[in-house]
Amino acid sequence: MTAPPDSASGTAPVAAPGASAPVELTGVSRWYGNVVAVNDVSFILEPGVTGLLGPNGAGKSTLLHLIAGLLAPSAGTVSIGGHPAFADPQVYRDIGLVPERESVYPFLTGREFVEANAKLQGLNDPGSATQRAIAEVDLTDAQDRPLAGYSKGMRQRAKVAAAFVHDPQILLLDEPFNGMDPRQRLHTMGFLRRLAGEGRTILFSSHILEEVERVADRVLVVIAGRLAASGDFRAIRRLMTDRPHTFTVRSSDDRRLAAQLLAEPFVTGVTLDDGLLVARAADYGAFSRSVAARAREADVTLYEVLPTDESLESVFSYLVRG
Amino acid sequence: MNAVIARITLRQLLSRRRTLLLVALSAIVILVAILRRISNAGDAKFTADLLSTLGIATLMPLVALIFGTGAIGAELEEGTAVYFLAKPIRRGVVLATKLLVAIGCSIALTSFPILAAGLIAGGDGSARLAIGFALASAIGSALYCAIFVALSLVTSRAFIWGLGYVLVWEGFLAGLFTGTRTLSVREHTEAFAQAIANPAASVFKADLQLGTAMVVAAVVAVAAVTLALRRLSRIEIAGEVA
Repeated sequence: MTAPPDSASGTAPVAAPGASAPVELTGVSRWYGNVVAVNDVSFILEPGVTGLLGPNGAGKSTLLHLIAGLLAPSAGTVSIGGHPAFADPQVYRDIGLVPERESVYPFLTGREFVEANAKLQGLNDPGSATQRAIAEVDLTDAQDRPLAGYSKGMRQRAKVAAAFVHDPQILLLDEPFNGMDPRQRLHTMGFLRRLAGEGRTILFSSHILEEVERVADRVLVVIAGRLAASGDFRAIRRLMTDRPHTFTVRSSDDRRLAAQLLAEPFVTGVTLDDGLLVARAADYGAFSRSVAARAREADVTLYEVLPTDESLESVFSYLVRG
Repeated sequence: MNAVIARITLRQLLSRRRTLLLVALSAIVILVAILRRISNAGDAKFTADLLSTLGIATLMPLVALIFGTGAIGAELEEGTAVYFLAKPIRRGVVLATKLLVAIGCSIALTSFPILAAGLIAGGDGSARLAIGFALASAIGSALYCAIFVALSLVTSRAFIWGLGYVLVWEGFLAGLFTGTRTLSVREHTEAFAQAIANPAASVFKADLQLGTAMVVAAVVAVAAVTLALRRLSRIEIAGEVA
């Protein structure tokens, strides 16, 4: 695979020279006995939403726990704002964490739970912060009910509110949309996008590609404990030069256009199927530039050119299957 | 001491179903004293045996075991520990709070029933006996809680190990080999009870000298708290394993 991981930012520097990145992992490995959960992972997270993707057991939760300072790396360093993350409770002033495990205190109401988190953060006005956080996740009407009676989606939202109540710069969320219905999911996605727009660094794991595609600016793909790719998933796809890019083309004369396209050295094949021209090209950019010129030469009108395997799903499937 | 952690820990410890069993066990100690008093005149020897056997040897370790292992260990198992560990609060404060709540709950369900049972059962010097056993059980509960909280930070099977210590070490080995009594919280507690209740304590005799009990108990308490603090300061909460 030819998608070398660089930084989660893709190309842009994360922080000004001399300043510390919000989250930085350098050569991080973590093993449990003989089992290597995370293997030599390095990346920098910058403000914005980053999706952490990987099959079950790939090491996503371990990575999140390492960043959250809840696990010590076996090798390498994890730093938050330039400080080691592990065994330093002060890092939690800047971090909000939504753990994957559903467990909460069932005897607390939603408001009590979020307020307890606000007080544990030492906020001056925990009551106001609680009401703000609860309103953000749309739980105001249910805030005085015990968590024991909440649906899974409501508990997830209560956990998001509790993680966000102290207005942290870094939010780490482990499968945050689990159990949410579509409306709650869209609401929370919008909320995360807004937080990211305000300059916060957000990392969330998910096994639902559509969620990541909708919310994340960038992705980190973890496979078998290793960072398989990082950056904008469309850019990652374009770097996979050993996989031809597939385009569907609709035009006034697909057959003539297909013949023209086959003359291009970077076009590896075309098929005409059900009135649809499908072209495979080794070079995404060259194809995009030449298709219009070739159509013009052949006196064919182009109606639509769509890359069909640029979705996160295809990128993920290429990376996982190898 | 953190008030929020204290309140949540208290509610969590008291909301467990097994706490009802402890309340029932506490009530049994008092009930036995009432039944005895109804059928017989007060007897200091019986009172001492009741407080020693049912109070110190049975009620105290079971209550401390459940509260001590439940204060932090149960939260680590259930996954709620992350809500106080991932906060800008010194781990020493977390430990002190959890330990004090566990000790307070243990004293409430051990020392007060022992005091009440001793006063009800009666006999010569029964008030002094009751106060002696109640105060000693408060010290014993604190010691047990320190041990069990530390144990819950060392192993996820703290309850089993703790029960093994109470039943096998204190209940069986300490009866066979006198040397093992030195490391028995029950024996320490009886030594304290005898010292506090004297001269009424002449109706029973502790197996351990007061000086030995004080030194060993202090060393064990400091060791347990130090170990617990070290473990909690570097505790890890794992994610999935590949």
